Amino acid sequence: MTTHISNAIIMRTWEFGETDLLVSFFTSDKGRLKGVAKGGRKSRKRFANCLDLLSLVKLEYELKRGRELYFLHSGKLVHAFPGIRSDFSSLSLASYMIELTETLFPLSVTDKEMFALLKNAFLALNEGKRNGVLRILFEAKAMALGGYRINLDKCCGCGRPYAGEGRAAFKQSKGSLACLKCEQESKLSPGLSPDSVKVLRVIQSTPWDKAQTLDLNNEMIREIKPVLKLHIEYRTGQRLKTAQYLE
Amino acid sequence: MGIYPPSLENLIVQFSKLPGIGQKSATRVALHVLRSNRDLAEGLAQSLIDVKEKIRFCSICFNLTDDDPCSICRDDNRANGSVCVVEGPGDQLAIEEAGIFKGRYHVLHGVLSPLDGIGPEHLKIGKLLTRLEGERIEEVILATNPTTAGEATASFLSRLLSEKDPSIKITRIALGIPMGGDLKYMDRMTLEHALKSRLPVTR
Repeated sequence: MTTHISNAIIMRTWEFGETDLLVSFFTSDKGRLKGVAKGGRKSRKRFANCLDLLSLVKLEYELKRGRELYFLHSGKLVHAFPGIRSDFSSLSLASYMIELTETLFPLSVTDKEMFALLKNAFLALNEGKRNGVLRILFEAKAMALGGYRINLDKCCGCGRPYAGEGRAAFKQSKGSLACLKCEQESKLSPGLSPDSVKVLRVIQSTPWDKAQTLDLNNEMIREIKPVLKLHIEYRTGQRLKTAQYLE
Repeated sequence: MGIYPPSLENLIVQFSKLPGIGQKSATRVALHVLRSNRDLAEGLAQSLIDVKEKIRFCSICFNLTDDDPCSICRDDNRANGSVCVVEGPGDQLAIEEAGIFKGRYHVLHGVLSPLDGIGPEHLKIGKLLTRLEGERIEEVILATNPTTAGEATASFLSRLLSEKDPSIKITRIALGIPMGGDLKYMDRMTLEHALKSRLPVTR
């Protein structure tokens, strides 16, 4: 078996034996993996402070024959995101992003775009970007990458294309917009203004750099937030554990 | 059915439930207990019962203790004005063994970790705030570990404490190159901290 070197984000760690660490990490080229870092809790040379939660690292690892867990040879810290570490609300949002990624992407499913999204979201969080906006950007893009893009093109009831005029409602079970003739606005079918629909469409379809420059006003955030919350809960079949720390 | 008599098999099962002890180690320890005299077995059994019955949290600092309050909280010779906040009893013990800190402690019993479902309500943070009201505390030393969760906990506490009492001095333990360390193997965060927190050389 060959040794791989990948950029990775440390998602979770568990103490394993006396000095070892069991590590869950998301790589740019092999998706989410799990491995054992022998001596990972004490090594000052092979793993010098690089196996800390949420760190971006360059990892050297290999899969031993007949094993399910990867063997981590060494790592080097690339970015520790100090801005996330020094603020509990940022840590909570970063943890939520990790949990959503784990839910959407099973082990060994490669998605370079998801890795880039996670990394870019952490960089933005580290720079102190508004948490409310970042959460929306991440949720919408992650769900789209996970195969659950919200249909914003036509009504899921009558099939009429949405021309960007007038309000629409979000139908949770269809993961789609519905015109107000087919679905009334309610707590379970929150409404969206044409501007909110337009912004959500741009977020889902444009690269991070462009999506990040979008100017979301408070009204848009107020409308889009419950839509994404309902969408995630319905598609993943759960309320994420870390979501309780975001409010 | 196991290869050993049921009572020995049961002892092996009980030992193998302990962290870091697998089936082989548990068998070795159980056979050692079996070969030893009765005093060892009775002493071991009594110690296990004592530790479960007598050890509790100190009602002031939440360290593990036999007596409440603990010996540190009872000690009149310790500085009342400074409280060192640590993650767990093991961290308090490490500082105490170094013998350089003569103030009081507060044990949080964990750190904030949203991924593990641990929020402020699960730690002894409320009790720390209560101590600020009842004791004349001048300085709070935040000695949580420099991990992601430890740093976030320290910054959360720092904000909470300064809101509660703006006059209180809040300090954080220094981060940087450890004694016997090698610069070649240091990560960029550690080097950054070490350079930012550099001290003038006394002449």
